[in-house]
Amino acid sequence: MHLGCPPANFQPMPSATINGRTITAPDGATILDAARGAGVEIPTLCWYPKLPIAGNCRICVVSVDGQAKLLPACATKITEDMRVTTESPEAVAARRGVLKMLLERYPADHLINGGRARPNNQFEDYVVRYGVQPTPVGQRLPLLRRGDERPGDPMISHDMTRCILCTRCVRACEDIQVVGVLDVGYRGEQAQIIVGADGDPDKAACTWCGECVRVCPTGAIFEVLPQQRFGEIPVTAEPVVQSVCPYCGVGCRIELHVEDDEVLRVTSPSIELDTPNQGSTCVKGRFGYDYVQHRDRLTAPLIRRGWVKRGTRWVWTGPNGADRRAGPWRSIEAEGHELKHPAPPRATGKRLRDLPLLDRVTMDIRERAATPPDWYQPFRQATWDEALELVAQEMSRVHAEHGPEAMAVFQSAKCTNEENYLLQRLIRARFGTNNVDHCTRLCHSTSVSAMQAALNTAAASGSMREVEEACDVIFIAGANTTETHPVFGASLKRAHKRGAFLIVADPRRIELARLADIHLQMQPGTDVALFNAMLHHILAQGLENREFIAQRTKSFDAVKQAVAPYPPERAEAITGVPAALIRQAAERYAKGPNTTTLWAMGLTQHLTGHDMVTSLLNLILATGMIGRWGAAMMPVRGQNNVQGASDMGAIPFVYPDYQSVSDPAMREKFARVWGVEPERMSLTPGLKVTEMTQEGSPIRALYIMGENPIISDPDIAHAEAWFRSIEFLAVQDLFLTETARYADVVLPGASFAEKTGTFVNTERRIQLAHQAIHPPGTARADWEIIVDLSNRLGLPTTFPSPEAVMEEIRQVAPAWAGVSYQRLKNLAGLQYPVPSDDHPGTAFLFDDRFPTPDGKATFHPAQYTDPAELPDQEYPFVMNTGRQLYHWHTGTMSRRSNGLDAREPTAIVEIHPDDAAELGITDGDLVRLTSRRNAVVISARVSDRVARRQIFVPFHFREAAANLLTSPVLEPHAKMPALKVCAVRIEPVAVGATV
Amino acid sequence: MHETTYEPVFTGDRKKQLDQLLPRFPTKRAALLPALWMVQQARGWISDHAMAEVAEVLGLTPAYVKGVVTFYTMYHQHPVGKHFVQVCTTTPCNLCGAEGVVKAFLEHTGCKELGATSPDGKYTVIEVECLGACGFPTPVMIGDDFIENVTPEGVPELLRKYQ
Ligand code: SF4
Ligand code: SF4
Ligand code: FES
Ligand code: FES
Repeated sequence: MHLGCPPANFQPMPSATINGRTITAPDGATILDAARGAGVEIPTLCWYPKLPIAGNCRICVVSVDGQAKLLPACATKITEDMRVTTESPEAVAARRGVLKMLLERYPADHLINGGRARPNNQFEDYVVRYGVQPTPVGQRLPLLRRGDERPGDPMISHDMTRCILCTRCVRACEDIQVVGVLDVGYRGEQAQIIVGADGDPDKAACTWCGECVRVCPTGAIFEVLPQQRFGEIPVTAEPVVQSVCPYCGVGCRIELHVEDDEVLRVTSPSIELDTPNQGSTCVKGRFGYDYVQHRDRLTAPLIRRGWVKRGTRWVWTGPNGADRRAGPWRSIEAEGHELKHPAPPRATGKRLRDLPLLDRVTMDIRERAATPPDWYQPFRQATWDEALELVAQEMSRVHAEHGPEAMAVFQSAKCTNEENYLLQRLIRARFGTNNVDHCTRLCHSTSVSAMQAALNTAAASGSMREVEEACDVIFIAGANTTETHPVFGASLKRAHKRGAFLIVADPRRIELARLADIHLQMQPGTDVALFNAMLHHILAQGLENREFIAQRTKSFDAVKQAVAPYPPERAEAITGVPAALIRQAAERYAKGPNTTTLWAMGLTQHLTGHDMVTSLLNLILATGMIGRWGAAMMPVRGQNNVQGASDMGAIPFVYPDYQSVSDPAMREKFARVWGVEPERMSLTPGLKVTEMTQEGSPIRALYIMGENPIISDPDIAHAEAWFRSIEFLAVQDLFLTETARYADVVLPGASFAEKTGTFVNTERRIQLAHQAIHPPGTARADWEIIVDLSNRLGLPTTFPSPEAVMEEIRQVAPAWAGVSYQRLKNLAGLQYPVPSDDHPGTAFLFDDRFPTPDGKATFHPAQYTDPAELPDQEYPFVMNTGRQLYHWHTGTMSRRSNGLDAREPTAIVEIHPDDAAELGITDGDLVRLTSRRNAVVISARVSDRVARRQIFVPFHFREAAANLLTSPVLEPHAKMPALKVCAVRIEPVAVGATV
Repeated sequence: MHETTYEPVFTGDRKKQLDQLLPRFPTKRAALLPALWMVQQARGWISDHAMAEVAEVLGLTPAYVKGVVTFYTMYHQHPVGKHFVQVCTTTPCNLCGAEGVVKAFLEHTGCKELGATSPDGKYTVIEVECLGACGFPTPVMIGDDFIENVTPEGVPELLRKYQ
C-alpha cells in the first residue's frame, strides 16, 4: 500500500470519456480513479481509498462501449479509447441486483417505510438512492449473517447481521494498521468476519485503534460509547469541528462531532487528505475523549479553606507548619505501600462492572477512577474574582518579599502555543525571572542539550511521512513507537512491509523489536557503548561518509579517537549484544542509502542521556544520514505540544524560538514587545523543574498550568513533601489532580475541545484546533485565565483571542514569521521554519547547512560510564519505567476515559516468565517492589517483553506510582532525572498480609 | 473450539519435521496446509489454540489461519472419535442404499447423530459427498482407509477391525 503517495502526473487521455466528458488520468488509473478525478460519483462498497482492491461487491459496475459485459470500475484500468457510462440502465439494474441480494441477509425492516428518509450508513444510502425495497426479515429464507461480536468490549462492538462482507475492515486492519486481527472465515453462506482464532481480539493483538470502525460501510463494526451515552446514534451530528488529538506528539487530526454542547464522537479526516495521521488514529484519539465530559471536571475555582478576606487583603487563618496543606487523603507513598486489587486477567469482555474499583470509590462503576470526594474537603468554591485576586496578591507578595528567584511557573505541554507563550511572558516580564520550565525536562531535555551542542537545533530534522515513503533503513533506539506513538508506529510497520530494513535497539522485546530485522537487546543504560561500537565498525570498514564529514562537520577527529576503544567485542561485554550483530547493524546503518534515526525516552531519561544522544548524533553525522528526504533525525516527542511549549520559550534559558535569555539584544527585543523596561527582565537562565523541586531550592511561590509533577517527578515521597513546603501554590487544571490537592488556589481550565489554539507535533507541524464546545460551569480557556491574571498583576495584556496572540508570536519568533491562523485553516498545517508569508513551510531541514554560525555541525566525543544505579545482591532487578498504549502520562485524562481505563485498569509490573517462576509469582499476583528509596505493592504481569532480571513499570498509576522508586539523580547537562534505570528487589505479597 | 490447557504441538521432533518441510515451500505461508495436517495428525483436531500456535510459527495472523481451517471441510475444529467414519451419500450411492449404511454405523458405533462422537470416544460418523467410487457403492473412509461395497449388514464386522 502506498499511503500518501502523491498522484502520478495526470495525462490527458484524448479519447477516453466518462458520461461523455473527456477525462485526464494518470498512468495505471482505474475507471473509478478517473471518475473521481473528474468529479463523477460511482458507488462503491468494497473499495476504499488506498486499500488493496478486492473487487468483490460489484456495486461499481459501469458500461463501456464495445464491451459485452459490465466492468467493475474499481478494478478496471482505464485505457485510451474507453467510453464509459456510469449510470447506464444495465449498470443501474446490476447495482440494484447487488443491493437486493445483500439486503436479503441484512436487517433492513426500518428501510421499508418511513426509515427510508434516514438511511443510517453508506450501504443504506445506496439502497435508498437506487430504490431497492427489502423483503421483511420475517418473510425471507436466508438467515441474517453472523460473525464474532466482541461481547462486552468497552470500545468496539460488532453487529455482524449488518455485515455485507466487503472485507474493508480486514484490509484496513491488515494493510493500514499492519495487525491482522480480522479475516473472513468459513465459506459460502456461512462466510463471516472472524476475530483472531477464538474471537478474542486481545489474543489477536488488536490495538483497539478503531480503523475497522472507521472503514465499515454499514456500521456492523461500531463504537460502543456514543450508543451507551446517547442511545440511538444520530447519523450526523452538527457541527463537526476540526481539532487535534490531545494525547501524543504525532498530532493526529481529529474531527469532533458535537451535539448539544457535548462531544458525541470523534472521527478522523479522510485517509486521502494531507494530515499527519493520514486518517488513522490510535485508541486514545478515537475513543479516549470522554474525559472531557467526566463529572470530575472542575467547574469553578477552588480556594483552600483558611484563606479569608479581611478588608482588601486575603489572609491565611488556617493551620501552619506541616498541616498547612494537609487533606483527608493518604500520600502517594502510603497508597503505594497498601495492598490493592490484583490485576484482573487480560481478556476481552472486561466489562467495567467486572473491574475492581479503586478502593475509595464506591459510587457508580462507570467512574472507577474518579477523584475521591474527600479530596474536595479542604477547598471551597470561589468566584474568579476571588481566586485571581488571591493569586495576584500572593504572587506579588512573595515576589516583593523574596525577590524574583522565589517565583516559578511550570508550563504545560498539553496547553496551546498561545497559552504557553502568554504564561512565560507573564513570569518573565512581570517577575523578572526565567524560572520557567515544563515536562520537557523529563522528556527530551537531554536530546535538546545534545542537539544544540552538535547542530544548534532542538527539533526533528524530518517528517513522519518521509520515513514511511522514502527511507531504506530505520534505526529506532529506545522508542516503543507502536505503543507511545501508535499512528507513527503503524506507518513504521508499513515502511517495514514495503521493504525498509528495521533495526531496533531496545532492552525490551517490544512489538517493533519482534518485527525487526535486527534487534539489539542491550542492557539498560549501555547505549553509548553500543553506538560507539557501531561507529567503530563503520570507520574500520571505511563506510563513513567522508564528503559529508569534510564539508558539513568539524571536530571529527576527536570522535574518531573517542570510539577507538570500543571494538564491538568490548561493546558485547558491556551491552550483552553479540559483536557480530553490532557489526551487521552498523553496516546496514551506514549503507542506507537513506537511514532514518528515531529515538525517545529510552535514550534521554538516563544519567548519561546527553552522552547517549550525542553518540547517536555522531553516528548520524559520520554517515551523513541527515538532511535528505528519507534520512531524518527524529527525536519522537511525547506530549501533543511538548515541541510547541519548548518553541514558545517554556524553558529556563531561552525566549520563544530558542532565543537566548542571556543575550541583552534579545532581552531588549522582548521587553519592547511586552511593554516593560528591559532591566526588569533577567539575563540569568532560570532553574529547571528538577532543580526547583529539590530541597533547598529558592522557590517560594509556584504557578502550575496543566501539569501533575507529583506523579511524574522522580522520588515522589520527597517531591510531595517539597510541594507541601512552599509558601504559595496555584494550579490550573481540568481536575483536582494529585498535585492540585496541595494548592492554595485551583483554577479550572479548558480541555482541548473547549478552546481554540495551535499545537506543534513531533515533526514541527503547527496545527490549529478549533473550539467545539464550552468549558463546563465557569471554567475558562487557559489563555483567558492568564490574560486576566497578567492584567491583575499589572502587566498590560490585551489579547482578545488566541489569534491575536499568534500575531505577536510571529513578530518575535523568526521561524514562525509566516504563520497565521488564516494559513493554518487548511488541514495540513505548517511545518516551521516558515520565515515569511509566502514560504510553504519546511518538510525537512539541513539539506545544505546547519543553523550554526559557520553552517557546520560539531562532533562531540562521548564515553560510556556505568548507569547511575547498578543492581546488586540486595536489589537484583533493573527497573525501567514508561508508558502503556492505553494510558497517558499521570493518567489524569486516560484513567477518566471509560474505554481506556477498562483496558488497563490496574497498575502492573512486567516480569520475565523465568524470573516469575523463580520467585513463585503467577500472572496477576501482588508483589512488592523495593528500591533504595521506597516500595510499592503492584500486580505482576508475566511477559517475555522484558529480558531476564529486568522489569517494566508504567508510571500512570497513582496507587502504585513508579516514581516512588525512581532515583532523583540528575543528568549534568540538562538536569534530566535518570528515570529509566533503578535497582529494585521483588517479593511476592501474600494476599491477606498486612503491609 | 477451546481447550482448557494447551500443550504446543511444534516441539521436539515435530518441530524438526516442520523445519525440514519449510524449505520446500517458497514462503512460510505456503506451508500452512501441511502444518495444519501435522496438527490434526498429532491431536486429531485443530483447536483455537493450535491455530494460534500455527500462526505464531509461520508468522501469520490467527485470523488468517482460522480462515483457512474453516474454509476446508477436512480440518476438524472439534475433537472427533479415534476412528473418523465418512460415508458417501451422494445420489448414486444413495440410490444403492447408502442411507442404510449410515444408519448401521450410527447404531453400531453408538454415535447418536451425524457429527457426534460415540460415548466411548472411538467413533465419529459423517456423511460426505461423492468419494469417487460410484461403481462400488457404498464406499466409506475410516481414518485413511478406503473401503468399498459396504452394506448395512457388513458394518458390525467392519467395526471390529477398528477398535
Ligand atoms: S481496532 Fe484496529 S487493530 Fe483492532 S481489529 Fe480494528 S483495525 Fe484491527
Ligand atoms: S464488518 Fe463492515 S467492513 Fe467488515 S466486511 Fe462487514 S460490512 Fe465490510
Ligand atoms: S467497489 Fe468495485 S467491486 Fe466493490
Ligand atoms: S456418489 Fe458415492 S462415490 Fe460417487
